[in-house]
Amino acid sequence: MSTTSNTPAPSEFERLPWPRPPEARRERPSRSAWQDAWLRLKRDAWAVGSASFLGALAVFTLAGPLLWPIDPAAPSLARLSELPSLGRQVRVVAKDTPETAARAATETVSRDTPETAPPAPAPGETLAAPPPAHLRLLGAPNVLGVRLVWQALPGAASYTVYRAPGPALLHAQALGVPLAEVPASPQPHYQDSFELGPGPWLYSVVAQNSDGDESPPSQPLKVDLEPGMALGDALSENAEARLGELISLKAHPMGTDSFGRDLLARLIQGARISLSIGLLAPLLALFIGLGVGGAAGLFGGKVDLWVMRVTDVFLALPFLLVAILLQVTLGLPPLTALVALSWVGPARLVRGQILQLREQEFVQASRLLGAGPVHLLLQHLLPNTLGVLLVAVTFAIPQAIFTEAFLSFIGLGVEPPAASWGTLCNDGIRTFLTSPHEFLFPALFISGTVLSFNLLGDALRDALDPKLRGRS
Amino acid sequence: MNGFFRYFLKRLALGVLTVFVLATATFTALHLIPGDPLLSEKEQTPELRASLMKQYHLDQPPLVQYGYFLKDLSRGEFGISFTQPNRKVNDIIRDHFPVSATLGLLAISLAATGGILLGSFSALRRGQALDRATLFWVILGVSVPNFVIAACLQLAISEFNQKTGTEWLPVGGWGSFHHRILPAIVLALGTQAFLTRLMRSSLLEVVHQDYVRTARAKGLSPLRIFFVHQLKNAVLPVLTYLGPSIASVTTGGFVVESVFAIPGLGRYFVQAIQQLDYTVILGLTVFYGSFLVLMVLAVDLLYGLVDPRISLEGRTR
Amino acid sequence: MSSLLSVKNLQVEFRTDDGPVQAVRGVSLSVSAGETLAIVGESGCGKSVTFQALLGLLPTPPAQIRWDERSGQPKDWAMIFQDPMTSLNPTLTLGTQLEETLRARQGLRGQAARDAAVALLEQVRIPEARTRLGQYPFELSGGMRQRVMIAIALACRPRVLIADEPTTALDVTIQAQILALLKQLQKEQGMALVLITHDLGVVARMADRVAVFYAGQVVEEAPVQELFDHPRHPYTQGLRASLPEGHGTTAPSSSTSASPRRLTSIDGSPPDLLHPPKGCAFFDRCGEAMQVCRGNAPDPYPVSASHFSRCWREVRP
Repeated sequence: MSTTSNTPAPSEFERLPWPRPPEARRERPSRSAWQDAWLRLKRDAWAVGSASFLGALAVFTLAGPLLWPIDPAAPSLARLSELPSLGRQVRVVAKDTPETAARAATETVSRDTPETAPPAPAPGETLAAPPPAHLRLLGAPNVLGVRLVWQALPGAASYTVYRAPGPALLHAQALGVPLAEVPASPQPHYQDSFELGPGPWLYSVVAQNSDGDESPPSQPLKVDLEPGMALGDALSENAEARLGELISLKAHPMGTDSFGRDLLARLIQGARISLSIGLLAPLLALFIGLGVGGAAGLFGGKVDLWVMRVTDVFLALPFLLVAILLQVTLGLPPLTALVALSWVGPARLVRGQILQLREQEFVQASRLLGAGPVHLLLQHLLPNTLGVLLVAVTFAIPQAIFTEAFLSFIGLGVEPPAASWGTLCNDGIRTFLTSPHEFLFPALFISGTVLSFNLLGDALRDALDPKLRGRS
Repeated sequence: MNGFFRYFLKRLALGVLTVFVLATATFTALHLIPGDPLLSEKEQTPELRASLMKQYHLDQPPLVQYGYFLKDLSRGEFGISFTQPNRKVNDIIRDHFPVSATLGLLAISLAATGGILLGSFSALRRGQALDRATLFWVILGVSVPNFVIAACLQLAISEFNQKTGTEWLPVGGWGSFHHRILPAIVLALGTQAFLTRLMRSSLLEVVHQDYVRTARAKGLSPLRIFFVHQLKNAVLPVLTYLGPSIASVTTGGFVVESVFAIPGLGRYFVQAIQQLDYTVILGLTVFYGSFLVLMVLAVDLLYGLVDPRISLEGRTR
Repeated sequence: MSSLLSVKNLQVEFRTDDGPVQAVRGVSLSVSAGETLAIVGESGCGKSVTFQALLGLLPTPPAQIRWDERSGQPKDWAMIFQDPMTSLNPTLTLGTQLEETLRARQGLRGQAARDAAVALLEQVRIPEARTRLGQYPFELSGGMRQRVMIAIALACRPRVLIADEPTTALDVTIQAQILALLKQLQKEQGMALVLITHDLGVVARMADRVAVFYAGQVVEEAPVQELFDHPRHPYTQGLRASLPEGHGTTAPSSSTSASPRRLTSIDGSPPDLLHPPKGCAFFDRCGEAMQVCRGNAPDPYPVSASHFSRCWREVRP
């Protein structure tokens, strides 16, 4: 290699003093293992995302009842299984009883129709097509009732009233649902109040003669209904409600359940229960495991041998059976099985760690220098076990939440007045096909929380694993 | 093979001991509780009650009852149901276990093959799109409870069936092979995700092992390196988890059987618990316990056969 | 004297989360037939990575390898590794691991491969070679395993055998046996031997020529006696001063003073190769450093025809 071209000036070859002052050196910054793990954790987008989600969840759970002071147990018969909505407005309308409807109908009939009665139906007579504008509304329609009246058709023995949701008839020639069969009378009429809701509806009538032949359907009558609510129900929502006025309803951002209870309030209550189980059970298990595993690891010998045999048996016990046995025999909530069985994992973990650490030089050195067992435990063994335990707990939390949901789902979870996410799922799945939100929201909360804890645990394990340090 | 035989005997003895402890614990617990096991019987004359007491040996002291229980157990008899006095627990198992077992077997094979394949591909394509997708799938699979997956799948498939008018994939019931597909998939998903993750990390670990570098230095073909040196060693830890996986698939069966209306043993078990049918609970507990112990034992033996270090050194991992 | 293995300006980079780590920064080496080249340097100086890169053993997504020129036949090279405990596949018999090499490199199969395997084991002085073929690595001691590793390497019929710290993981008495075996095999087969080590004592006993690695570069290269007697680079001088008198060198060197001297160590640690220094890599630890060393990296300057030193002092006016 040529050295002549770029030879530096002779002055550059002056020897520097030795030892050199610290500022003249090129040192790299040193980081502790925890600092390093923290840096790597912060760089992991999944970990940051999960931690943010869990932070938001903590606010939701703790501050939720203050921010959303709705009684999670208050039912509302007027608002069963409602889809999510924010403060919508409805008109307070009068509720029609069949009697008032019939009276109104006859009064109208006597005013509007000719005196002549239709001829009696003759057998075999063919039915004419209904004239246009055959079907009329009687009075003002609302969501509690739509009154229909139509002219009697000659030869008709009965009429069938059909209803279709507004847009349906635009692309299909279907008549919709047959609502009722109305017998022939001088002035046939019908009041519909079958599961009406706001929106456009299309009514049509088909006449039948005594042979069962059908006439062509009448020209459909379109009825647009605005949201409405009976006075009695409206008063429970808003004390100021008056007939005919618009009132604002309480908001249900996540809808209501099949008892009309606010789902958001129930989810907040459920979060408190699910999360406290999810946090308490693993922590309790961890402390038991720490004690048992620590004792086995520290004392060794016979203690260790027996502890390990006991954990072997515990590992073989199927979780669900223990949960059931605890309930059936001791009357304990099945969830206690979570603690009863899950201490085994931490115990074995702690024992293994301590056995490993005990043999390491820095612990041996400390012991030779006269450190007592308490000092050894607090100064050397625990801090070095902490990382592994932290990761174990992060994975135990979603497992506990998962298990709680599973137990609640098969009816072995928290007792009815309280509600966890699992019991909400269990309640919601019965009406899953008609109002899926009752199931989907708690399911989303469970999945999201478990997902976040899992992601965070993964990231934490990677960050704390010295083997992975610096690897991509 | 002497070492392997000793290992086998040791594992077998431990399994029998576990079942015995489980049976005794269950029996003790059931007999410790206050209350009358015959309370659920509707109309009881004193004579009928006395005859029932005699039939179930309830007139004997607990220790004698325990003796009867162990005697029956040693002959594989679990006694007669309390709520259906003319039905033996053995009949219940015989009628309903095959359904659960078929479903479980299908699910576990789906989970194992899917997990090993997906985990391998993901590890081999580490950091690439397929790997990222797999990782997301895995984390989703272990995070979404199976009843949620079951409900959503049911909704989607029934919508699909309605729209297209097909009945190829029924969303409930039991009968043809088609009935088994959806429940088996739901049952397999969680375990499959777990095994995928295990297989991926196991293979990634193996890829960095010194003996793989040796194999490369020897000039072996990439295929031989993958199948003989990497895959075989990476599958071993996955095998050890098959035992516990069978356990999770079996217990997961309770939910799937109830969601999909399948007449399996799990549903029967839950029913027995709700009705406090003591003999059925006791019988099924011992049955399930033995089954799980047997499965774990079988998997451990398989492991002992594949990994020479285990059986020849005669010690457990 | 032809070169069996040579490379010019080898660069190896590892992609990590923190950025690229430049593990090897412009190494040029050449190995001639029959000679023993020792590679010395502390952990992480790039001495192993250099040869693993040359033999294609580094997984290339994390590693990036560049060179200006490489000559020699890769099929003539074989490598044995530091830890015989982990370098053999634990789940395959020794026979399988030997025979698959013979098959890949020499096309032998069946009985021919078996016989060749036995011959190789006998060549590395393993007693009862034929029964060993059915054994697994865990049934052998560390020294025996390293002999098997050497046998596997010999199965490649190498003209250059690269031994990467072959004795570091072994007991002292075993170390001597393995080194003697290597020396003898080298003589028998006429191979060139590359001995990667951090033990200067081993270097003195085995090597013809020495290359000293520091921070991913060769800082000095010289015949062994020359290097021990007249080290030129401050790092080599530091290494030399850390050895007790007479240790390592076959003949006590005459250049050092007769009075007993204190053993010294080199303070500090090598630079972070994530951010390699602009100037001389040894600057921070060098008592001889000059103004020029801080910002200008030195080239390898010839001391004599066979002796190079990468230090500015060689060109001080």
